[in-house]
Amino acid sequence: MKKEKQGFAYAMTLPAIVVLIALSVFPLGYTIKNSFTDYYLLAPDKAKWVGFSNYIQIVKDPFFRLTVKNTLLFTVVGVFFETTLGIVLAVFADSFKKGKKLLRILLMLPMLLPPVTVALVWQTMFSNNNGILNQILGFIGMTPVNWLQDVKTALPSILVIDIWQYTPLAFLLAYASIQTVSTEQYEAASLDGANGWKRFWYITLPNILSGVRMVVLLRVIDTFRLFDKVNILTKGGPANSTATITQYIYQYGTKNFQMGYASAASMIMTVIVVLMSAVYLKQSLKEMK
Amino acid sequence: MKKKKIAALTMCMTMAASMMIGCGSDSQSASTGNEAEETKTAETSGEEGTVTENPAKENKVASGETVKLTIAARGGSHVDVINAVKEKFEQENNVEIEVLGLEAADLKQKVALDAMNEEGTYDIVMIDDPVMPEFTENNVLLNLTAEGYEDDSDFLTASLALGKNPYGTGDTYALPFSGNVQLLFYNKDVLVELGKEVPESWAEVLEISQAAKDSGKNGYIIRGQQGNPIVSDYLPLLWAYGGDVFDENWNVTVDSTEAKEAMQMYLDLLETGANYEKNDMVSSISGGSSTMGLGWPSWFITDGSAAADYAVIPAKAETESESYASGEIGNWMMGIPANCQHKEIAIELLKYLTSEEVQRTAVDVGAVPTRNSVFADAEILAKYPYLETLQAGTENSVVRPRTAKWSAIEEAYGAELSNIVAGTKNIEQGLADAKTAIEGIMSQN
Repeated sequence: MKKEKQGFAYAMTLPAIVVLIALSVFPLGYTIKNSFTDYYLLAPDKAKWVGFSNYIQIVKDPFFRLTVKNTLLFTVVGVFFETTLGIVLAVFADSFKKGKKLLRILLMLPMLLPPVTVALVWQTMFSNNNGILNQILGFIGMTPVNWLQDVKTALPSILVIDIWQYTPLAFLLAYASIQTVSTEQYEAASLDGANGWKRFWYITLPNILSGVRMVVLLRVIDTFRLFDKVNILTKGGPANSTATITQYIYQYGTKNFQMGYASAASMIMTVIVVLMSAVYLKQSLKEMK
Repeated sequence: MKKKKIAALTMCMTMAASMMIGCGSDSQSASTGNEAEETKTAETSGEEGTVTENPAKENKVASGETVKLTIAARGGSHVDVINAVKEKFEQENNVEIEVLGLEAADLKQKVALDAMNEEGTYDIVMIDDPVMPEFTENNVLLNLTAEGYEDDSDFLTASLALGKNPYGTGDTYALPFSGNVQLLFYNKDVLVELGKEVPESWAEVLEISQAAKDSGKNGYIIRGQQGNPIVSDYLPLLWAYGGDVFDENWNVTVDSTEAKEAMQMYLDLLETGANYEKNDMVSSISGGSSTMGLGWPSWFITDGSAAADYAVIPAKAETESESYASGEIGNWMMGIPANCQHKEIAIELLKYLTSEEVQRTAVDVGAVPTRNSVFADAEILAKYPYLETLQAGTENSVVRPRTAKWSAIEEAYGAELSNIVAGTKNIEQGLADAKTAIEGIMSQN
């Protein structure tokens, strides 16, 4: 009986497994295979097995190390601010008696825009010539800033755009988590004389922690793949100050057609993301047990 | 339990079957499509008197079906031009032309990916001229000379040379569809206010830019964005100073004395103005808040009444210095993929799209001609006076190094130039590092 049930379960999951293999496992295997070759897109027949040479070359490449540093910096700072602001906004929105729906919709708008549109809109605002930000600076008597072409401001500028666009995601998940917290807990805390901060720290935060962890995981994975904004706004410059790992892969794979080398860089990036996600996955598995 | 088993089995078989059917119908339709396309080729070939080897194709000749030709084009004005002129060819040749407008990097990638297929999707592709060596050396493009194409002497020599492999002397693989060469983009009103003439040397450019800065305006605008923009913006200076990326033996010379002087001038010019991206540069010079910079004519089409105008890029460092060709040529070429399924009709379409007749019409849609006869047309010149400057610029132009590794070189070079402009490296260090990086790329197999 048990075996029959198991057989049924396997049969039902088989199509999903086949699709998974076709769409995930095969491309992954193909990429791993390519990463050990010198596969050049326009001469696939000449591809030779090069062992770990691509990996060694990438790890030794100071430009790659710089892209890793930039990506990690971007991810840590971006995810921290997005998550923190998301929680603050969620608590703020939840405190409203009226107009919650409208506020939710307004706060969600940036997230609904395609990254390319967002980049172009912000490019206009950051414009060194007649952008609104420099006009405001001029109005208050400050000198204009070359936001996207100055090594000091380029990365923070892109960070601001990313935080602006993806804080709503953190807000959405945090807000949803807050809705699951029972009001009795807050009432009891109020009776005990807990102020707003203590209610947030001892009741809200512990209750929404699993949701926050999910936000962090999703944003870490997504921020690590940051590409559109950088490619449109700075192309990795100035002086490689905004170059990310995806930009590195794009440069070698898409622009120079060095598919073997780009595959190796992709695998290294995958390993880094998996390692960063492992903390969350480990915690989730522990909770499932 | 048996019922469950039967149900599970049926569901699995249904799902598997539906997947198989899906694949089958795809391949079937694809196959049908190909047959149809092949048929149409044969039909056209028949008209041209070419004998087809495939009997299946011959059978379909009589069917009278319309051939569908696909053009992978650079998006924007080029697509407008093709769409504006394609109808006549469609009617005369019983074909349907589909134009796909793509962003430059996307276009290059899609053409390269399609080149890996036995049967290509595209019949005509547009190619940015620096990509020509990469595509011709890897057999992406059809050898037009081998297919019987004879060069048309009406094309500008500099433009026609871009489509040949080896450059300038070999067989023709692509024809120049849209001409372009970098020019000096300046604001006439600002020059009049300053009492200055259009500069003929870089020293004069600096002098005017400094005067503009002293009068409260931006002087010279550089396009210092990392990668292609900064390389394209700096190379004309390098050439005007007598420098180059490589010498005649392919030794890297980006750190030569001439290169250092050119870079110093570039930084001096920046001091008088600003570092803008393209749109800001065009709007600020057109609007008169900035004085001059380098640009591609297609960014700003002037009818003569505008405050902004173009001039040929100064070809010398100082008034008394030796002159060198200094305008970067950047034509958009048109070729036929080697795996094209409709070669004969595609060649005819290619000839048509690059013909004098089409270029005369297309000028009104924003096209930049590549033919002497169009540049010499008094009526067109009266309407678009900047074309005269463009022709002179083309005759004074320089081609970017003809190597299949140019994309990689441009990235590495652009990063180091960006380092210098951003101040993270001095000229010596930045150019020395650029040399090392380019030598590394050239030494790779």
